[in-house]
Amino acid sequence: MESFAAWLQATPASNAIKTVGWVIPLLQSIHILTIGVVFVSCLMIALRVLAVMRTDEPAGAVWRRFAPWMWSGLAVMAATGATLVVGEPEREFSAISFWMKMALVAIGVVGTALYGRSLKAAAGGAPAEFRRSMKAASILIVVVWIAVVFLGRAIAYDKQVWGSLSPHA
Amino acid sequence: MDFASLIQTIQTSAPAQWMRTSLAAMPVVEAIHVLAGAIVFGTILIVDLRLLGFPDTRRPVTRVCSEMLRLTWIAFAVSLTAGALMFAANAHTYVGNTAFRLKMLALLGAGVNMALFHGITFRTVGAWDRNAPVPVAARIAGATSLLLWVCVIFLARWIGFTKGYDFKIPPNTHIDFQF
Repeated sequence: MESFAAWLQATPASNAIKTVGWVIPLLQSIHILTIGVVFVSCLMIALRVLAVMRTDEPAGAVWRRFAPWMWSGLAVMAATGATLVVGEPEREFSAISFWMKMALVAIGVVGTALYGRSLKAAAGGAPAEFRRSMKAASILIVVVWIAVVFLGRAIAYDKQVWGSLSPHA
Repeated sequence: MDFASLIQTIQTSAPAQWMRTSLAAMPVVEAIHVLAGAIVFGTILIVDLRLLGFPDTRRPVTRVCSEMLRLTWIAFAVSLTAGALMFAANAHTYVGNTAFRLKMLALLGAGVNMALFHGITFRTVGAWDRNAPVPVAARIAGATSLLLWVCVIFLARWIGFTKGYDFKIPPNTHIDFQF
C-alpha cells in the first residue's frame, strides 16, 4: 500500500491537484456541502420512520423525495473524496481514520440501500406505525453517517485521536 | 476594555487553554462544528428550495419552515458553541484572517436576509402557503440565503488553509498544513 501511495503521489494528476493551491480547499468545501445534503436527507427519512417529522406525508413519499438527493450527494462525495485521495494518497492511506471511514462508508451505503428496500416494502402496507426493528435501523443509519463525518475530520488528527494505533505514531 | 484586550482575554481563558492543550478537543470540536454546520446548511436548503418552488408547491411553506427551522436553530446553536471554542483557542489569528472576516460577513448577511424575509415577506404567506406561485420577494430571499450559506461553508473551509499558526515553525520540521 505504501508503494502504491508513493506511485500515486508521483503521478501528474496527483501533482496537479497538490500544486494548484485552490483545488484541495475547493474539493473539501464541496465535500462538506454535500455532507449537508446527504446527512439531512437521511435524517428526514429516519425522522419520518420514527414519526417525529413529515407525518403528513406517507413514508414512501418521503423516501422518494429524499433518496435521489442522498444517492446523488453520495456520488458527488465519492468523486470529490476520490480526487482528494489522488491528491494526497500518503496522508490518507497512512491514517487509520481513513480506513475506518471507508469501512463505515461501505456499511452505510449497503445499509442505506437495504433500509430503503425494507422501508418501501413496509410503507407499501401504509402502516400507522413502523416496526421496532425499522425504527432501530433508522437510528443506526444516522449514527453510522455521524461516525463517518467524525472519522473524516479525524484524518487530519490521526495521531492525536488514535495514539499508538495510528501508523503516524 | 478595548478590542485587543478582549481578544487577549478570550485567548487566555480556560476553555481556550483546554482547546489548545487537550489532544482530543480540537478534532472532536471541529467534527461537531462540521456536522452541525452541515445540518444547518441541509435544513436551510430544504426551506430555500421550497421558496424557489422545488420540488413543488404542495407542502405548505409554513409547515416546511416550522419543521426545518427547529432543527436549524438547534444545529446552529451547537455549531456556534463549537465554533466559539475553536475561535477562542486561536483568537488573535482568527480576527486578522480575511477568510474568517468574510465568513462572519456572510453569516451577518444570511441573518439580515432571514430577518427581512420573516419580518416583511412572510407576513403575506397565507396567500401563497400552498399550491400557489411563490412571490418574487420570497424567491429572491431563498436564492440569496442559498448563495450566502454556500459562501459561509466555502469560506469556513478556506480559514483552515489560510490562518497559519501563532508560532514560527522550526526549520526542517514537517507540519501537515492540510487541516
